Amino acid sequence: MSSVTTIGLTHFVIVSFFLVAAGIATMLTKRNAIGILIGVELVLNAAGVNFVAFNRFAWPASASGQIAIDGTMFAIFVVVLAAAEAAVALAIFLNFYNNFSTIDVEKATQLKG
Amino acid sequence: MTPTQQLIRDLFVTATLLPLASSLIVLFIGKRVMGKGAAWFATAAMGCGFACSVYGLRLWLEHAPGTILWNVPWIPLPAFGGGWLYLGAMIDGLTVAMMVMVTGVATLVHLYSIGYMKGDARFERFFAYLSLFTFSMLGIVISNSIMQLFVFWELVGLTSYLLIGFWFEKRAPQLACKKAFVMNRVGDMGFLIGFGILFYKLGGRLLLPAAAGAVDAEGHAVVTMFDAIRSVIEADGYSITNPPMWLTAAGIGLFFGAIGKSAQFPLHTWLPDAMEGPTPVSSIVHSATMVAAGVYLTGRLYPILTPGAHLFIATIGLVTLVMAACMALVMTDIKRVLAYSTISQLGYMILGLGTGAYAYALFHLITHAFFKCCLFQCSGSVINAAHHQQDMRYYGGLGKKLPVTALCYFVCTLAIAGASIPYSNLGISGFYSKDGIIAGTINYGHAMAAFGPYAKLFYWGPLAVAYLTVFYMARSFALTFLGKPRDQHLHDHAREAPWTMVLPQVCLAAMAILSAPFIMPFWLDLIVGSEPAAAAGWLQRATDLAHGPAMHDTHAGLLQGVGWIIALVAGVAIYQPGMAISSKVAAVPGIKQLYTWAYNKFYFDALYDVFTVSLVKTVSRIVGTIDKYIVDGMVNLAGWTGRFGAFLTGVFDSQVVDGAVNGAANVAASGGQLLRGTQMGRVRAYVLFLFVSATVVTLMVITVTLAAR
Repeated sequence: MSSVTTIGLTHFVIVSFFLVAAGIATMLTKRNAIGILIGVELVLNAAGVNFVAFNRFAWPASASGQIAIDGTMFAIFVVVLAAAEAAVALAIFLNFYNNFSTIDVEKATQLKG
Repeated sequence: MTPTQQLIRDLFVTATLLPLASSLIVLFIGKRVMGKGAAWFATAAMGCGFACSVYGLRLWLEHAPGTILWNVPWIPLPAFGGGWLYLGAMIDGLTVAMMVMVTGVATLVHLYSIGYMKGDARFERFFAYLSLFTFSMLGIVISNSIMQLFVFWELVGLTSYLLIGFWFEKRAPQLACKKAFVMNRVGDMGFLIGFGILFYKLGGRLLLPAAAGAVDAEGHAVVTMFDAIRSVIEADGYSITNPPMWLTAAGIGLFFGAIGKSAQFPLHTWLPDAMEGPTPVSSIVHSATMVAAGVYLTGRLYPILTPGAHLFIATIGLVTLVMAACMALVMTDIKRVLAYSTISQLGYMILGLGTGAYAYALFHLITHAFFKCCLFQCSGSVINAAHHQQDMRYYGGLGKKLPVTALCYFVCTLAIAGASIPYSNLGISGFYSKDGIIAGTINYGHAMAAFGPYAKLFYWGPLAVAYLTVFYMARSFALTFLGKPRDQHLHDHAREAPWTMVLPQVCLAAMAILSAPFIMPFWLDLIVGSEPAAAAGWLQRATDLAHGPAMHDTHAGLLQGVGWIIALVAGVAIYQPGMAISSKVAAVPGIKQLYTWAYNKFYFDALYDVFTVSLVKTVSRIVGTIDKYIVDGMVNLAGWTGRFGAFLTGVFDSQVVDGAVNGAANVAASGGQLLRGTQMGRVRAYVLFLFVSATVVTLMVITVTLAAR
């Protein structure tokens, strides 16, 4: 096995698959709101990995031969959006905590019919 | 029109309108603003009207302005040469005399009512009605045309209805006011027929006094309504002794209005029943207003009355006065005696007008107003003192308890009797007026002698009844005020009325004495001045005679003799101990039948019941049945159809339309019920669902994509 295995698209997809799986598993198992937020971040970043990977391997250049960075840009957007989303979510959690002295999402049942 | 004429006109128009104004004020704001003071307000307004009239009278006597006509264009009549129907006033001597009499008597009746109506639940409203009643009468007196006269004529009918039925909680006043109203309508039907004949024959010339050609420089008419008709007829080539037949018919027709209002022979039965009204109403109805209206109308008709109409009127008057006197002789209710005496005296006036004693008949209207009003007020005081017992059989000896009332009653008894100092020309008011009428009848009787011996009835009738009048008035006086008390309890509790009731009595009694001997010259001048040109040659003599100073000589020993004294003494002597003597006389066979007849009012009411009332009722019942089953049936059918249609529509609405709406709502509700389970609020479950479904969708997409490849 002299040849160094080139890290290809498959590897990235596998990583992102694990990230998504971990994220979903986190969201499904955690009752702590911050834990769920972490799960959401994992899923988002899995998407970001996919954007970047597919950009690099599947669509490296446009038809005119210029380098395409569309997927990379989307990954950056995802990061920005994740930051904004984390800020809003944390603010909600704070208020939630102020009112219920907990951040267990199972306890947020006031709107239940 | 000179300034003096204008001033007189304004005074009388003001006197006419004042009661209307006070009536409206009392009716609408009286009770709230003035309370019991409303009565004094109405009385004061009436008094102001009287003052205006008296001032107008003074000016009239001073300036002798002649007939004042005031016509204001009212309704345009393009069909009659672009003319107008005029609203306005006509003031001649008769108007002036009537205005003064009506306002004077009405003021005293208002004052009397303050005492009599004290404590009544509708105290203020009574005065509003009373003032309105007076206004209506004044309106008749001052009217310038038949149309305007008829408007006020009907207003008198309405207000009399309100006043007679003032105590409408009781059954008898209800029936009495209805009867008065309906019988007056019967008379008014004749009035309208007469008016219709005139209108048909004369058209616009009837309504437009100016069209008769007699206008002054300013275009104002100077000829009164009926004089104008007369001149129109003469312009057509007729005269009053050679009249067209329709003129006689019109005169009789219009006179039928007077028969109703003045309670003359066929339509007299409402007046005794009208006694159910409060006594002040009786006193004003019987003197100054309602019954006077009929006589006044006949007086106004005078210029167009043909010989035939004169005969008709005289006959009605004669029948009425004899018949009513007989009934008055046997009545035991004090107010009914007076009621029948009123009918009898009105018969005198009508007879006087029919026989040509125009001035004396209308003079009798005025003197009669004073003493009859006083008699009724006295009877009201007696009834008040006797706790509303009206039957004279329970009275007796009240003279000691009610001395002032007794004195007034006696004075007025003398007045209605026509008392005079034997063999002199000095007498009390009734003497002058009634004497004049009898003088007229004598001459009429002579003039008619050619037509048969029955003509003599025209003077023997009134002459005999003159003594009968004395007798029945003496009877009522003796039964009430003389002798021993027949009901001790009633006698013990009797007291003289308050001053508001006594004062008017005294004033009226004074007028009953004074209105003829001292005030007579101007009363008579006023009326004589208004007398139309004598109707015809054969009436000329009677009229001249009745005017002349020699009148009293023509029948010396008739009324001025000792006859009235004998009748008075006889009446007092027989009835002073009560009904004992008279009931023995009434039990004699023969007299008994007469007595029963008279006591039952000659069965007129029964006759009308059988021939008119029951007939009307039967027809009404038939018409009512038709109405109930056929007319109402159709209406009900239409109603049922509508109802059934509405029922169908309702079913459709509730089942179909509402069903659709409810169904939609139900679908939404059950759908919601189904889906609400998914919204369990558990975040992790949502996440699981999200990813499972995302996975499923992804797998499907992949499968489809691969399969497509």
